[in-house]
Amino acid sequence: MKHFKHYLYIIAGLVWLSACKPSIDTPKPSKGSADFTRYIAVGNSLTAGFADGGLYRAGQMVSYPSIMAKQMQSVGGGVFNQPLFDAGQANGSGYLQLTGFNADGTPITTPVTTNLAIRGIQAIPGFGNVTLYAKYTGDIENYGVPGIKLLHVSYAPYGNLNGFYERLLPGAEGTNTTTYLDFVTAKQFTFFSNWLGNNDALGYATSGGAGDVLTDKATFAGLYNLVIGRLTATGAKGVVGTIPDVTSIPYFNTITVGAVLGAVKKANPQVQALYINALVSGTTYAPRPATAKDLIVLTFPTNKIGLPISTPYGNLPYGLTPYTPIDNQFVLDANEVALAQDYVQSYNAAIKSIAASKGLAVFDAYTFLNNVKEHGLLESGISLNSNYISGGIFSLDGVHLTPRGYAIVANEFIKAINAKYGSSIPLTDVSEYSGVKFP
Amino acid sequence: MRKLLLLALAMAPVLAFAQGFQVNLEGQKQIGMGHTGTGLAQDGAALFFNPGAVATESQNYVQAGISPLSFNSVFNPAGTSEQYHTASKWAPPFTFYGTWGPKGARWKVGMAVYTPFGGLTDWGTTWPGRFAAERLDLKAFYFQPTISIKITDWMSIGGGLVYNHGTVDLTRAIPIENGTGQSGQAELNGSGKGYGWNAGVYFTTQSGVTVGITHRSQVKTTINDGTATFAVPASLATSFPSPNQFSASIPLPATNSIGFGYRPCSKWLLALDVNIVEWDPFKTLSFDYKTNTGLLQDTHSPRNYHNTVGVRGGAQYMATNKLALRFGGGYAEAAAPNGYVTPEVPDADRAYLTAGIGYKLAQHLDIDLSFEYEHLLQRTQTNFETQLSGTFKSEVYIPGISLAYHW
Repeated sequence: MKHFKHYLYIIAGLVWLSACKPSIDTPKPSKGSADFTRYIAVGNSLTAGFADGGLYRAGQMVSYPSIMAKQMQSVGGGVFNQPLFDAGQANGSGYLQLTGFNADGTPITTPVTTNLAIRGIQAIPGFGNVTLYAKYTGDIENYGVPGIKLLHVSYAPYGNLNGFYERLLPGAEGTNTTTYLDFVTAKQFTFFSNWLGNNDALGYATSGGAGDVLTDKATFAGLYNLVIGRLTATGAKGVVGTIPDVTSIPYFNTITVGAVLGAVKKANPQVQALYINALVSGTTYAPRPATAKDLIVLTFPTNKIGLPISTPYGNLPYGLTPYTPIDNQFVLDANEVALAQDYVQSYNAAIKSIAASKGLAVFDAYTFLNNVKEHGLLESGISLNSNYISGGIFSLDGVHLTPRGYAIVANEFIKAINAKYGSSIPLTDVSEYSGVKFP
Repeated sequence: MRKLLLLALAMAPVLAFAQGFQVNLEGQKQIGMGHTGTGLAQDGAALFFNPGAVATESQNYVQAGISPLSFNSVFNPAGTSEQYHTASKWAPPFTFYGTWGPKGARWKVGMAVYTPFGGLTDWGTTWPGRFAAERLDLKAFYFQPTISIKITDWMSIGGGLVYNHGTVDLTRAIPIENGTGQSGQAELNGSGKGYGWNAGVYFTTQSGVTVGITHRSQVKTTINDGTATFAVPASLATSFPSPNQFSASIPLPATNSIGFGYRPCSKWLLALDVNIVEWDPFKTLSFDYKTNTGLLQDTHSPRNYHNTVGVRGGAQYMATNKLALRFGGGYAEAAAPNGYVTPEVPDADRAYLTAGIGYKLAQHLDIDLSFEYEHLLQRTQTNFETQLSGTFKSEVYIPGISLAYHW
């Protein structure tokens, strides 16, 4: 029995062992051939963390560059300052919130109008009104400016035309002359990401081909060359993103011709077609029946359909006759789609060849988002796709991303960097970031 | 239109059990010897290991044991250096065996209660795989009335009917966030039943080698009115009726064993077992919800498990006439093929070592202690269904104790 006690001790010792937790050996993260000491992010609204139709603090906090910078810290990344709105003005420009669903299941979005960071509105002669936001004066590593096109990067007065850029500049409104390119390259950096160029096509597309023009292909290539030349001038390495196909976003795929026509037919079975004012060629537009290849924008007020419009032939229902077609601004028709797609492919050819010539990493957002649209995306048990609201990737404006969408983009950029520079920046945990928030 | 908008939210619930959940802790003496026993007639646990051997035992047994089990897993998401651990929890597999037959009779009857399947895994609500699984608590209680008959001096047979009472409680997060960014939650909770049998034949050869062959049948366990509870943002509450009912069924696999026992001298006892576990029928895990909506569809998760082979060996040494020392070990293949490993029980090939001691407290009373250490080999996986990608590694620690009264 004396021995038995000893064995009890042994067993007790073994039980204690069970406090041990298993662990897995992982290779130490490495920076490879890149230097992440000062990483700067160059780009537009996507880079700024714009979401739900606005730029606001919570969105800025989960911008893809900020996620990347956080992950870079284990491989020598430095501080990453963003021009955040103050906590007291956290809602920035204001944004959309999902506040419920109508009886027919359509979503109700409501603008957030409190705690904004709007400083005022300034009329710029020959341009129009510019909304001014609370100035930011600290250090900046995230240079994302909502609305900026590649076309604007060397345009000196741009700081007076875009309130999101103006707030970053020290000068008083209307007096700025610093080009965007000079501004972002003023201070030494070791690594950059550049995702400019989306708005050069998107501005045209989201206005239904009516409110903006596509940046000329050669101009685009020339400016891209200029930008990359400047960004790599002091030996910095970097990653660039291609331009997504404009038709891969829910802004163009949620309200479809089929769905609208179906709803009309329910009430009025003899209706045969929706009519749109479609591009014929050049700048010639003519009314014709809409097909599934014509894309209606997300912001189209569907209740306009069928409202009586006064015409020389009497009152005719809106959108249902060749004399009362749906306004051009609400439809990116098939020819406009083809035009935008052609330009985007040309832009991307320029981006890839310029990046290759400088040995830069490329995140092919064009291919990635087309794949997501085609096949969806599964991430750690989260089923994602390009649908509006339910898809989980795109925010309420149908163009910009949710925090989860930005986390996925950050990981794609990181993968591209790791592949190019032999680094091992750890990926972020996508599940930590939310999709669309439901009430 | 809401359907149109939200259909794709579909919480493809991959709520799922997994292998790894066969629990081989059916008697302290046998655990000490590497969980061998098909070819031995050690004590009342023969009701489980080989009902055919029970009739060869000279004594009647009433015995009970418990083997608290701590399953510790770690997950390292692909491309990161993060490590996520399961919470330390103890699952309590237990055994109860009673055998009786008149002195010198050729037969015995018995009753066995044991827990051959179970799982307790708690990854918590913040780990990256929470949309695949957060927590699983699965238990199967087998009740097995048994009869064993000695046909000749060298052969005996036995068999029992199995009634299984199973319970399951599992939770996972739903990737739908509320206004504060919190994910939804799903919990499935229910109990069900199933039937099967356990039969064996036991030979005593002239060479002194004992041989056992057994088949424990599949027990298809069905849960009929489980409770499904969902916590989702209010605007989607109608799409996730809560509480809802669900039914599910799972084929707890059949096991074929052959085992050998041998006494090279009076102090030593050696044993060897080989098992084939028939996981093949576990192709799909389905959950059928009583109320379906556009967002809440029945789910069918592919499992595609395959049959596994396990080998075990063990030895017992009588240090004194009261004290037995035991040791053993074994190796078992994973049932989950690549691409089908789920975090509820991160299945992998496993090796284990066991040790035990037995002590005769009194003429009719034995106490047995056992300890098992199980190491699941590191396994890097991307699950087809969830795309959860990373490396799992698990260690299992199982102390155990039993008391046996025999006469």
